[in-house]
Amino acid sequence: MTTTTETETPKRPSRVTPAQLRDAGVTRRSRTARVKIRVGAVLTALVVLPVALADLLPLPDSTEQDLASRRLPPLTDGHLFGTDQLGRDLLARVLDGGQVSILIGVLAVLVSGLIGLAAGAAAGYFGGWVDAVVSRLLEAQMSLPLLMMLLLVVALFGPSVPVITAVIAVAQWPEVARLTRSMVLVEREKPYVDAARTLGLPHRGVLFRHLVPNVVRQTSLVVLLLLAQAVLLESALSYLGAGPERPFATWGRLISDGQDYVTTSWWLVTLPGLVIVLLVVGVNLLGDGLRDAVKGTKKGATA
Amino acid sequence: MRTVMSQTAQISRRTLLKALGVAGGAAAVSGLAGCAGPTGGPPPGSVTLGLNRSLVSLDNKLNQFDAAVTVQRAVRQGLTRIGPDLTPVPVLADRFELTSPTQWTVRLRDDIHYSDGSPVRIEDVSTALEMYAQVNGSYLAAFFPEWPTVVPVDDRTFTLETERPLPVLDYLMANILVTPAAANIPEELQSGLGTGPYVVTASNRGTGEYTLRRNDRYWAGAPHVKQVQVRFVPEEANRVVGLRSGELDLIDTITPDSAEQLQGLPEVRIERVRGTRINQLFYNFRKPKDHPLAKASVRQALSLAVDGRRLADEILAGSAQSAVGPVAQTLNGSVKCGAYHYDPRRAKQMLEAEGINDGDLRLTLIWESGEFAGDTSVMEAVVQMLGDIGVGVTLRQFEAGGNISEWRQGRAGDWDILGNGYASPVGAALPILQGMYGGTPERERTRDTYQGYVNPDVLRLLDEAYAEVDPARRQEITARVQQVVWDSWPSMWAFVPNSVLAYRNRVTDVALEATNSYELANVGLEA
Repeated sequence: MTTTTETETPKRPSRVTPAQLRDAGVTRRSRTARVKIRVGAVLTALVVLPVALADLLPLPDSTEQDLASRRLPPLTDGHLFGTDQLGRDLLARVLDGGQVSILIGVLAVLVSGLIGLAAGAAAGYFGGWVDAVVSRLLEAQMSLPLLMMLLLVVALFGPSVPVITAVIAVAQWPEVARLTRSMVLVEREKPYVDAARTLGLPHRGVLFRHLVPNVVRQTSLVVLLLLAQAVLLESALSYLGAGPERPFATWGRLISDGQDYVTTSWWLVTLPGLVIVLLVVGVNLLGDGLRDAVKGTKKGATA
Repeated sequence: MRTVMSQTAQISRRTLLKALGVAGGAAAVSGLAGCAGPTGGPPPGSVTLGLNRSLVSLDNKLNQFDAAVTVQRAVRQGLTRIGPDLTPVPVLADRFELTSPTQWTVRLRDDIHYSDGSPVRIEDVSTALEMYAQVNGSYLAAFFPEWPTVVPVDDRTFTLETERPLPVLDYLMANILVTPAAANIPEELQSGLGTGPYVVTASNRGTGEYTLRRNDRYWAGAPHVKQVQVRFVPEEANRVVGLRSGELDLIDTITPDSAEQLQGLPEVRIERVRGTRINQLFYNFRKPKDHPLAKASVRQALSLAVDGRRLADEILAGSAQSAVGPVAQTLNGSVKCGAYHYDPRRAKQMLEAEGINDGDLRLTLIWESGEFAGDTSVMEAVVQMLGDIGVGVTLRQFEAGGNISEWRQGRAGDWDILGNGYASPVGAALPILQGMYGGTPERERTRDTYQGYVNPDVLRLLDEAYAEVDPARRQEITARVQQVVWDSWPSMWAFVPNSVLAYRNRVTDVALEATNSYELANVGLEA
């Protein structure tokens, strides 16, 4: 009898079975988030690591031309990605272009994150005319066609790396600002904010020492998602001829230059395109996964 | 009752959504399958041309790139045209002859009329000349050392009088398109009548799209094709895909790489002829006297660093020849003056002799996208070649519609080398030399010279050549002009590309000429 009791699986004090728990929405979401994070991290690392280590890899110079080796297909004569229309190693060009594209993307999202965080937090905390000004500004900007606006600014100020970084940064701040504002609106009503005020902390102190640290985590996830968008925007500008001046090899320009050879040298367009897809999908999955994980944690904590 | 509830629970919301998703996917796939085929070719009896540059007007007062000539002359015509052998052929005139050193006698054909049936009058010719002379920034004005005056003799005959002899006027008049005097103004015409085989029924200069309808009353007999659609398709890859899919019938000025893609396709034909256009990496002659580029020896040294043979044979896939003179060898009166040699060691020595060491010289190379086939690849290759002799190059590429014309005039920014193509629509060397190298100090004040090129020796010889009525003697002077120009090293490298055109088999009788144009009236469609 005793033996029988020991070998039996201990009964849960609930009618909910482990199988039901496994299939429950929250468990499934948590599992999906983990998968997203892992897949996203792998895809992102596949692109970002070689780009970051491009200078250390044993690759030819990305600008070194060899007119006798034009448009060699992948895996020919030691060229993993083949060569382009001037005999330059395509992998070296893609990695070199990635440094420019990712640098612009990272700088742009950092700047847009800072602008959005500051403007959104101020709008949410102070309300009144500050909120009105920030809200109207971001509504006005969001109502403009983004790519047209970027092309216009680049046409006016010239296509240099700082200009393109600045325009992408300015283009993306509304996303961050909107999110930050809504979160600060919720946070400012909480007792710890009242307590801080009662203790005589000035508004700036309340905002930056208490409110911003509480919203910055979720904001940074949006910023991560914006990185993919920034890389895509930079590629679109380069593709349209408004990217950084040559000889910067950006992903958009590699595709634009290669499209004339699309039927005879598929790799010139396909491989840079694939790299963009890997990075964008990877970053999006990573961002999505982290957001879902944070939501789950927060819900759990609240419960 | 319990059984019924259980069955209902099996068809959950998720299952329903999945089913809907599958159904939606299937519908989308079947929709996409419909898009996989050609997107719809031109309507019956119609031909669609895909131009590489935007045709902003059917008038040529300001704008005359190669492919535009075909379309512009399908609507408006001149007294002459440049024929397949690059000599003038009468069109609206049946007589065009030099009757004295400063006088040409012209007689209009008796059967010509505009598309509305109204007659062509001598006044239309004189007004056309006035309007071409008055227009600001005229591309054609550079070819005319002076504008002739029209003096009527009778209803159809008139003389073209000049102060000084103008022995190539029959070539030049091929570019003066005639339109009714009352409708002509000193700017590019957006509408109006012409005597050509087609009339315009719709146009959008912003998108560069035009619809031409057959002029059934065309004086030389109605053309074969009922309707011609003209489209501007800037991306070469799109034009190639458009031709392959049947969306476009004919594309012009294609790169050797695109020709390679189209070669062997059963539904596509490719035409190639040696061209008259010269493409150059032209130096900026507006530099101050103490600038290195102001010295011919420095310009020559830079030329020695450019491997023209490799550029022509490999990047341009043998579809171009390095220039051997300041104008294309196909032009009447052109002579061989020398050749571009590749000798980087000597280039470096020559630069050092001028006190220019590694890294001392940095040049800015500007060009407009699509200026010539393979332009970007050529520029990037030149960067490396100059880099090999220690000369740095900054590339500045302008997209079509940008402000490169202001840059060229030195009004928007400084530059050193310009990637530029110079069309030669007149068929003879002398007017082209006049157009490119006949800049005077007066014209330079308004920045109307060719990149600031003003050479008193060339001006004197050009004057002599124009004043000479004896053809043999004139040719001798023309040859000397070319040598003087060549010896001044105006271009770092220049080449003459073949004209390449591709069209679908359903289109017939496309006779591409050296001027990179063809007679649209002769084009037909397979029955």
